[in-house]
Amino acid sequence: MNVPHWEVMLREVTGIVGVRGALIVSADDGLVVADSAMDGLETTDVAAFAASLIARALRTTTAMRTAAPSRLQVSAEGGTLFAVAGAEPLWLVAVADTTAELGRLRLLLGDLAVVLA
Amino acid sequence: MRVLEPWVADPLTEFLRESSARLALIMTSSGQVIAQHGFTRSLDVMAAAALGAGILATTAELARVVGAEHGYGVVVHQGQRQGLWLAGFDTPRGRWIGLVVFGRESSVGMVRLFFARFTTDLVAAAPQRSAPRELLAEGFERELDQSLRALFGRS
Repeated sequence: MNVPHWEVMLREVTGIVGVRGALIVSADDGLVVADSAMDGLETTDVAAFAASLIARALRTTTAMRTAAPSRLQVSAEGGTLFAVAGAEPLWLVAVADTTAELGRLRLLLGDLAVVLA
Repeated sequence: MRVLEPWVADPLTEFLRESSARLALIMTSSGQVIAQHGFTRSLDVMAAAALGAGILATTAELARVVGAEHGYGVVVHQGQRQGLWLAGFDTPRGRWIGLVVFGRESSVGMVRLFFARFTTDLVAAAPQRSAPRELLAEGFERELDQSLRALFGRS
């Protein structure tokens, strides 16, 4: 699996109606490893925020002495952010608007995260 | 936090709040301190400023040697427990440098994101009509020394 393969994978995610962007994020440093996004979506900003959320979730589960999270979902008025863990420290992240088929997106991200791992 | 240029305070405060940075040092490209947050010893401030300015100057020269036409704007050192972000940026007062130390509660991505906003906010906050302050003026070192003494409880 390399960057061109990742880009094909991400384009599959953004092919779902309502998905504004998909990216592979290095959760350690909050940087974009690969991305596919509509104009106007700043994937570098999304990566930074997603990595911050992931780090907070990891700290929370560590404090709770429970298993580390493998999926995160943050829903807001304007849309949803999904993050699914791949091979450490990579996470697959998607940003969807309110029209997206979230069930299909969840399934696809889960399948692709296995490939990413 | 301590600032020698009052208009730097608000953008820097916002940057520190949003990025969760542990230490921050804003200086001129020659290493003269404009603002600092988190340092507990004046000696550390002066040493970090000089070393940070030196690293960026070295990197600029390295960029020239390897043919990087536009240089390298940012230097990042990533360690196990904390990282260091070092970047030059233009202001109405000339080229300044930001040195930021961040821990695991932040990331390179977060610092990159909010540092970009900080530099934009700083340029917007800069006084437009006042004459550029001469940072090499005779009183600068004395004022800085007084500020450092006050900051570190030695006044």
